[in-house]
Order: sequence, then structure tokens, then C-alpha cells
Amino acid sequence: MAILEIKDVSKNFGGLAALGDANLTVEEGTIHSLIGPNGAGKSTLLNVLVGLLEPDVGTVLFKGQPVLGKAPYEINQMGLSRVFQTPAIFDDMSVLENVAIAAYAARDGAYAFNVFETPSSAKPCIDLAKETLNDVGLFEQRKIIASHLSRGDKRRLEMALCLARGPDLLLLDEPTAGMARADTENTIKLLQRISDKGGITMVIVEHDMNVVFSLSKYISCLAQGRIIAEGAPDEMKGNPKVIEAYLGTESEE
Amino acid sequence: MNSANSAFYKKDILPVGAFAAVLLTMPFWFEYVGGYSGLDTKIVIWIIFAIGFDILLGYMGFLSFGHAAFFGTSAYFTGLMLLHYSDNILPAIAVGVISAIIMAFIIGFLTLKRTGIYFSILTLAFGEMLHSMVLSTLQDWTGGDNGLTGLPTPMLFGLKMQGDNVFYLTVIVAIVMYYIARRIISSPFGLMLKAIKSNQVRLEYTGVHVARYKLMGFVISAVYAGVAGALMIVYEPYVASEFMGWHLSGQVVIMSVLGGVGTLFGPMLGAAFMLYFENVVSVTIGEQWLLVLGAIFMLTVIFLPGGFVEAGSKIKKKLMGGSK
Repeated sequence: MAILEIKDVSKNFGGLAALGDANLTVEEGTIHSLIGPNGAGKSTLLNVLVGLLEPDVGTVLFKGQPVLGKAPYEINQMGLSRVFQTPAIFDDMSVLENVAIAAYAARDGAYAFNVFETPSSAKPCIDLAKETLNDVGLFEQRKIIASHLSRGDKRRLEMALCLARGPDLLLLDEPTAGMARADTENTIKLLQRISDKGGITMVIVEHDMNVVFSLSKYISCLAQGRIIAEGAPDEMKGNPKVIEAYLGTESEE
Repeated sequence: MNSANSAFYKKDILPVGAFAAVLLTMPFWFEYVGGYSGLDTKIVIWIIFAIGFDILLGYMGFLSFGHAAFFGTSAYFTGLMLLHYSDNILPAIAVGVISAIIMAFIIGFLTLKRTGIYFSILTLAFGEMLHSMVLSTLQDWTGGDNGLTGLPTPMLFGLKMQGDNVFYLTVIVAIVMYYIARRIISSPFGLMLKAIKSNQVRLEYTGVHVARYKLMGFVISAVYAGVAGALMIVYEPYVASEFMGWHLSGQVVIMSVLGGVGTLFGPMLGAAFMLYFENVVSVTIGEQWLLVLGAIFMLTVIFLPGGFVEAGSKIKKKLMGGSK
């Protein structure tokens, strides 16, 4: 079943078409990668999905519900979380607090005047936060202030933050950008584990083909705001259109 | 689990108990350090104001330069109630605080969309708008420059609200409000306020309705300002137009920064220090006291951005380190 349907979405930035009639369907429970050269419209598409950008035309359905025009927090409450390209975390708060915020947001919804919380009423949330930190391998660091974490750990923390929210769909914007080889391998394993364990659907924007091919069940290639090719990893390997998009053709140059 | 809960409540008992003990015994020791009766009440009122201000500035990270709007609105409505309705302080304080809450919803709704300097300037503008309304447009009701005069002696169930009665009333209110502030800060709601200060965008993308939390944080801080404003009129039944002015807004900022924002305790200490300095130390120093206060403020901001609280923890660290 399709969890996310993007239909004929276009977005122009002052005459420049960032997205032109983009169509994309993401099946539930899969890891779906978006690839494409810089400027292909991958980030624009993600921004449209989370409510950061309003497209000029088109519809986006998430679990059959329209997403466009909703505030970012509403889209998140529907079950769509995003991991940003540069880790967006609560820098001056502890690692555990970071994830606890998400756990409370999962329990209480978008707003609650929950001033009279006791440790026993908060326990399920704190337990969830600790469990999630354990999943991403940050449990030992839970008392550290988030800004003191390494770059890779910050990304893991942001992932934990998104996961504690209990999303149905997780959007990841270049989750391994700037990571060392070993860290990248760890991230691949982590994402695979999360996908196997929770059945969370993932959409990953990624340049590292090693990551893309080891994780994805399905790959869509964007170029100049359009989906130019899509298919299973095997079909995409050596697809002339994809190679052309990345390397350019002689006539273009 | 229950033992965890009782430990949780115990966490508040010590600081709130110490706070209560210091305030309740004030009449017995305050005059030995140069204080005088009446000043103690004023200090307690300002402490209430400063607690609420810290929730906004220290925890949520929004610097308001117009908090006099809430202090003043409440003060005027309390005064008007005493003058025209009844000398009973309960309805007067209730109407005063409610008026501050309504004002906070309006001003908060219009200003909280902006952050940083823009928010500060907007609050300042709104504060001064109200100030000039009090001075000119509404002067038939507010008494304009002269303030609201001729208020009756405030009463509480046949008890004259003067001297010690007012002092103990404000102390009880301050203790309750300090406890509530501690609870707010340590609750998930408080966690969300801290998260707003830390990263609003991330919070929004975590499924939290940031705008509503901001508005509530702002209104809560205005409740403290409103209670302080109302108590000021009970303490001294005269509404001065300065209660609405930017000078008062600035004072609470300076107190909070001097004491150390984001600690609750810091701004309380800052408030006590400022009033003590203004009314007691200034006599010893003479005319130049404002200059000295300015120098203290500057040195604090430059060398101790965490205020008195930071100074305290540095000294504590030194002493602990020395004993090892």
C-alpha cells in the first residue's frame, strides 16, 4: 500500500523550476532512496513534504490524507518526521532531554499544559526515550549536553529524536554526509535495524551510492525537478538515464 | 514508584522552605542590616515580578522590554476596583490579574511571532503605547500624570491591609508562586519552554505547537507581573503612572541579569539586591549611587554573564577545590 503519494508537484523559484510535475509513490514499509545531482530538486521535495515550502501546484497525500497547507507540527503529528541535513537538535540540553521532548510530544500531542507531572506519570516517556537512545547507541551519553557530541553522534541523536516521536514515515536528508567510512557503515546498519524492527517507512536523500544500494528497496532518480528513472536497485545500476543525469551528456556541455 | 514521587516532591521542599524561612523572618532581622519596615514588602513584591520574568527570559529566551504593561495594567485595575467597587482586596486583585492576563494574550499574540531584538522592540512599543494612553487618552479614569489617588485603605475580611498584614500576605503569595514556578520549570511544559529557547524549528518539526507554548509562557510570566502589580497597590494604595513606564520594564531586566537568568533564584536575588541598594546603600553612597549601580551592572555583565549565581557557584567551586 502506498503511504506517500506525490502527484504533479511543481515549484518555481522566480522562474527557475525546482520541481516540475514530480510524481512519486512510496510504498509502506520500504526504504526508498531519492538520488540525483545537486540542484535536482531533492531538498525542495523534502521541504514540500514537511510543510516548509508550499508548491505552486500538485497534491501530496500521506496515509491518504492531504498534507499541503498544514503547519509543520501538524504534519509531524500525522506521523511524518524529518532528519535534517545539518543535525537539528536542542544543543544546550542533555541527550536524554532531547529525546524526552519528542516522547512527550508523542504522548501529549501538539500542546498540553502538563505542569503537574510526577516521576511515575513521566516514567513511560522517559523509558521510551532511554530505549530509543539505546537503539541508536547513545544510551551511555544520555547525560551529556548535546552540543558536546561528535557530529556523527549528533545525527544519531536527531534520529533518536525523530524515532521517539513514533513516526510512520521518516525522511532522512543525507544521513551520512561528512561522515567517516566507519560511521557511515554504522549508520547503514542502524537504519537497516530500525527498518527491520519497527517497519518504519523511510525516504532517504543520499549521494553516497554505497549507502543507497545497500539500503534501498526502491530508488527514484531526480534531475531538473523531474523523476527521470525509478526502479529496484538492480534495475537502476547502469541505467543510462541515471548515468547521464550525473555525468551530463556531451550535447549539454 | 511512590518513593520516586516523594523524592520528587522533597526536591522542592528544601529550596521553598529556605525561601519561606528567609522571607518570614525578615521583620526580625531586616532592620539590623539597615532595612526599614515597608521596604521588605516591596522587595517581596519585586521578587514575585522577577520570578515571572525569569520564566520568560531565562527559560523561554524572550527578552521583554514591556513587562510594565502587565504590572501597570493590573495595578490600575486593582486601584480602580478599590476606588469604585469595594475596598476588599480579593475582587480587586482578581480583576487586576485577569486584566493583565487579557493584555498578555493580546500583546503576546501580536509580538511572539518575532524573536530576538524585534520581539524586544515590539514589547517596548506596546508598553509605551499603554503608558501614553494612561497619561493622555484615558486620563479621566487613570488620573494622568498624577496617578490614581484617593484610594481607600484596602481591607481583607475586616482586616486593615497595612504594615505587617500586607507583608505577610505578600510573603505567602510569593512562597506559593515560587513553588508553582519551580513546578512549571521542572514539568514537561517547562521542558518545552527550554526547547523553545534552544531550537524553535526543531521543536516545530517534532510535532509541537510552538506558538501556543510561547503564548502560554508569556501569559504565565504576565500573571506574575500582574500579581506583583496588584500587591503593589495593596501595599501602597496609590497608582503611579510610572508603574506603566519603560523604566519599570528596564528595572526588572537589570535585576534578572544581575542575579543570573534561567535560575529562578538569581532574579529573586537580583530584585532584593536592587531594592536594597536603591533604598539603603544609596543613602551611604550619596548622590552618586546610580553611577555605582551602573558600574556594578557593567562589571557583572562583562565578567560574570551568569550574574550573582555564577559568582556564587565559582566561589563554591574554589572552596571545594581548596579543601581537596
